[in-house]
Amino acid sequence: MKYESQRIAYWFFATCMLLFGLQLVYGFIMAFAHAGLDGLHDIIPFHTARAVHTNLLVMWNLCGFMGAAYFIVPEESERELYWPKLAVVQLVAFVAVGVTAVIGFHFSWWEGRKFLEIPRPLDYLVVVDVLLFIANIGMTILKGKRITTTASVLFFGLLMAALLYLPGMIPTDNQTQDSYLRWWVVHLWVEGVWELIMGGILAFLLIKLTGIDREIIEKWLYVIVGLTFLSGILGTGHHYYYIGTPSYWLWIGGIFSALEPLAFLGMAMYGITMARKGGRKHANRTALAWTVGCCVMSFVGAGFLGFAHTLPQVNMYTHGTLVTAMHGHMAFWGAYAMLVLAIITYAMPLLTGRKLYDRPGAAFAFWTSNIGMIAMTLAFGIAGVTQVALERRMGMDFLAVQEEVEVHFWGLILAATLFTLGITAFIVNFIQHGLPKGDVEATLGGAAPDESTDTSDDDGAVAAADPVEA
Amino acid sequence: MLSKSSARMFFLVGTALCAVAFILLTLDTFQQIPGQTNQDELSPAAIRGKHLFDSSNCMGCHTILGEGAYYAPELTRVYDRRGPEFIAAMLRDPAAMYPGRRRMEQYDFTEEQISDLVAFLEWVGKMDLNGFPANPPLAANAGVAAAPDDGRPAIFGQMCTACHAVGGRGGSVGPSLDGVGTRFDAEYLTRWLTDPQSVRPGTAMPDLPLTEAQVSELTAYLVTLHD
Ligand code: HEC
Ligand code: HEM
Ligand code: HEM
Ligand SMILES: [Fe+2]
Repeated sequence: MKYESQRIAYWFFATCMLLFGLQLVYGFIMAFAHAGLDGLHDIIPFHTARAVHTNLLVMWNLCGFMGAAYFIVPEESERELYWPKLAVVQLVAFVAVGVTAVIGFHFSWWEGRKFLEIPRPLDYLVVVDVLLFIANIGMTILKGKRITTTASVLFFGLLMAALLYLPGMIPTDNQTQDSYLRWWVVHLWVEGVWELIMGGILAFLLIKLTGIDREIIEKWLYVIVGLTFLSGILGTGHHYYYIGTPSYWLWIGGIFSALEPLAFLGMAMYGITMARKGGRKHANRTALAWTVGCCVMSFVGAGFLGFAHTLPQVNMYTHGTLVTAMHGHMAFWGAYAMLVLAIITYAMPLLTGRKLYDRPGAAFAFWTSNIGMIAMTLAFGIAGVTQVALERRMGMDFLAVQEEVEVHFWGLILAATLFTLGITAFIVNFIQHGLPKGDVEATLGGAAPDESTDTSDDDGAVAAADPVEA
Repeated sequence: MLSKSSARMFFLVGTALCAVAFILLTLDTFQQIPGQTNQDELSPAAIRGKHLFDSSNCMGCHTILGEGAYYAPELTRVYDRRGPEFIAAMLRDPAAMYPGRRRMEQYDFTEEQISDLVAFLEWVGKMDLNGFPANPPLAANAGVAAAPDDGRPAIFGQMCTACHAVGGRGGSVGPSLDGVGTRFDAEYLTRWLTDPQSVRPGTAMPDLPLTEAQVSELTAYLVTLHD
């Protein structure tokens, strides 16, 4: 870490941990309701739990992206943040809006459109808040010593994410138009501009962790985000098969969305190749595990499991079933949750000056959460395929099928417990790092690394020479 | 070997072309949506119903057009499947039609709000959705969907098959109605349908919102069901 203002990232990451933990609680409430135990129905009914679960997910992911940007951009631009104080204000406002929304959901204050439940007045606040963030990052990049591809891709992704929130706010009376525009936010986020954010953060991590030349990494970054948009924009059509839109979307959506896994395959190959070729053995192996893990699991969850139900012939039967929930979990986990956990794992030792990545808990968190998530995906998958076979193919009644699949939700609960153990270990490790402290020099352990090239890293070399293990 | 600047060109040109194509297709789609969704039949009541559907977050448990949560039945074709009386009964008292099952939210809707929601669900049910939801291709022993002409009244398909099966098709909450005409006579069945609690106190069978004409129509049909 080279700049004082990068420290603000810590508070964004801490918020992530808090919201993530809370998200899991509401996941359990829903899983128990599916398994037949809806004892909380009168206090937290299913639709409240669901709105909280998914909105907290989106909030902590965004919060992680913002923290990552505040950490990465000063380093890439080689200067302090343009308005460090604004970053604090912007975090506090973000949390205030988020907390208000979550409390509101418990009192039925919502819009009731899947993933966009946040009520309209708060939508405007979110937009203003995110624009402040964009302005801060943008000014830092503009006034910086250099403008790197990594920073530009990250910035462009964040800017587009903010702008694409707007179509979701266009009022309409027609359910089909409503749904059409909802996907401009939901799909064009996760299968479009968020992938730019992902590409930018991964490029930064790979440059730092593997020591591979920036030019090579950034060239492939362009190829990957190129593939993303080439397939992902028209791939939005895979949500326009059966909602009352023209039938040309069946083949346009089918063909282009079938190409979407290429971008994720590219991401996976990129991560693995760079990690293997990389000359430098960075001391923070756990951060590298999360980085490469993110590349691989996003391919499995988004690429492979997305492809499994993206063709119109298949989607006719899987549309709106638990198969979608299976894919949603693994895709969000692999692509965005693991990404945020990767940058946190990389940044924490630098922010706090404590190197805890060799603690057994750090490896335990990585493996347990991933194995838990794979098992959760299997549980959702078996329930989903059973639902498709019995309800959609054989015509059994919805509720009768739900009773058939109840047992798989006990499987889900077991898997989710394992997953939660892993995440708990991650959060404990996070807390053990303590608060950001010391000045920038002290964090570097007194060593003065060569700052002129990118391959010079701040803690890798230092840690190798100076094993300050706790 | 690919250079960084040609990689950048690939990104910029590809993105621009796809974005333009997507915007043009969107403009065309917006031209066609009104026709495909029968927007001219979208009554003020249905519009109020849509906004009530949103502000009640029905999508937090149900799917509609295949979008939403996976906890409760898909509602796109519910108007055809269950009919207006059934839906209204669900919205007045969610435990009415499925006593003791997975729970729906108890809303305190006015009768006007209920008919708005019904109007909305009726309108959604008529959209052209390119064939969704498909008829179950493996439903071999067709009952409700394929062979409704065993003389059954429409109300039977809407109100009764949610819980009871005939010929292996229908719900599983109540007992199968095969052979019910052998077991009971018309007088018993009329009392049963009018006030189940007086016949068998504590039964899970709901007090259905049926008119007298509907009860006699149903009774006439039920007595024809023999083993
Ligand atoms: C807390 C979850 C929940 C919410 C919110 C909810 N429902 Fe339901 N709904 C259910 C469940 C579960 C069923 C299945 C029957 C049962 O067990 O009660 C159901 C059944 C229905 C049915 C009958 C479907 C059928 O095929 O028999 C209709 C119609 C319905 N709901 C309409 C609505 C409307 C309209 C709203 C919003 C105003 C709504 N529901 C909100 C959970 C919910
Ligand atoms: C990181 C990337 C991805 C994430 C986070 C993600 C997440 C999700 C989520 C949450 C949904 C449910 C949305 C809703 O109903 O509102 C969904 C639906 C869907 N996704 Fe993805 N997805 C990703 C990538 C992909 C890819 C690459 C494909 C195709 C190859 C794909 C195919 C689909 C399809 C077809 C649906 C619709 C399912 C249905 O009809 O019910 N997804 N995705
Ligand atoms: C303790 C762990 C978890 C449990 C028990 C759990 C359970 C659930 C359940 C039961 C649903 C609702 C499905 C329905 O509508 O019926 C759901 C939705 C969802 N959860 Fe989780 N979840 C957990 C963790 C996570 C994590 C870590 C993520 C993201 C990385 C996540 C992302 C999602 C998404 C995107 C949806 C919406 C899916 C869709 O609509 O298709 N969940 N979860
Ligand atoms: Fe999509």
